[in-house]
Amino acid sequence: MKINVMTDILEANDRIAAANSDVFKKHRNLVLNLMSSPGAGKTTLLEKTAEALKGKLRLGVIAGDIETTRDAERLQKYQLPVVQLTTGSACHLDANMVASALPHLDLSRVDILIIENVGNLVCPAEFKLGEDYKVMMLSVTEGDEKPLKYPLMFRESALLLINKIDLLKYTNFKLEEAKANARRVHPDLEIIDISCITGEGIPVWIAWLGQRYQTKFGTAKRA
Amino acid sequence: MAIAQNIISIATAAAEKEGARKITRVNVVAGELRGLIPLQLTYCFGVMAKNTIADGAQLGLEIIPVTGKCRKCEETFILKDYQYVCPKCQGEDVQTVGGTELRVKDIEVQ
Repeated sequence: MKINVMTDILEANDRIAAANSDVFKKHRNLVLNLMSSPGAGKTTLLEKTAEALKGKLRLGVIAGDIETTRDAERLQKYQLPVVQLTTGSACHLDANMVASALPHLDLSRVDILIIENVGNLVCPAEFKLGEDYKVMMLSVTEGDEKPLKYPLMFRESALLLINKIDLLKYTNFKLEEAKANARRVHPDLEIIDISCITGEGIPVWIAWLGQRYQTKFGTAKRA
Repeated sequence: MAIAQNIISIATAAAEKEGARKITRVNVVAGELRGLIPLQLTYCFGVMAKNTIADGAQLGLEIIPVTGKCRKCEETFILKDYQYVCPKCQGEDVQTVGGTELRVKDIEVQ
């Protein structure tokens, strides 16, 4: 006997993500889902972002990691609200894990919440967490063909940060080709070149955050 | 792995609702943009199905190609190599209309 099902495989996750999104809206949080390969520089970006946002908008972080709490330890000195989620064997965060972290964060003291996903270019793109935007980071040591290999992640992201551009001259990474490949998959993708070491491009990223906060809440700062 | 787990949860819930005792086949529709690797999914499905009524069931995987629709001339076409360019009018304002699906279509039960 055949039974028609027609159920979306990620329906349960999407429902929890929508509930998370309501919580974020209530607390006036702009929420980003930050995704990349392992070692692209997500945690360093968070450190730079914490420094650059000081006195402007308040940053909060949910850091996903498979085993360790090292990312959260690195962020401690910035005195941010940080929650570390260790996923065990899971290679991505899902909406339910994020929901479980929310009671441990004082969201009323956060303007921008960055959810640092597990380093992986495949699975994180599948699971909505309740974020406003997906932001993807690609580093020049990874290769300029990545957008064609992992199209969903590039397609789903609103912004691509190309990191480690200070190392461009030591690699065979072709910056223009990488951008052309990314735009083949996602023509409207915004792209910012950055270096978390030299600080190049960080002000552009901070301005992007400010604009998106304003777009969501209509004010540059918390009322 | 999480996707395989969800497929089994959905399939077993649907089968139990109909009072079925065994699932012999699960048909899944997946868009090409999802980037699923059939061999890997089939393997995970087999592992996760153990000790459920889907143990030993076959996984049918129908991959839907990435389909675009030109917003200018309304042409619908299958994209090659993720080129978001209309083959008819060369317009670049192309909307994805297929290729992101991910659902359990139907199951076969005993």
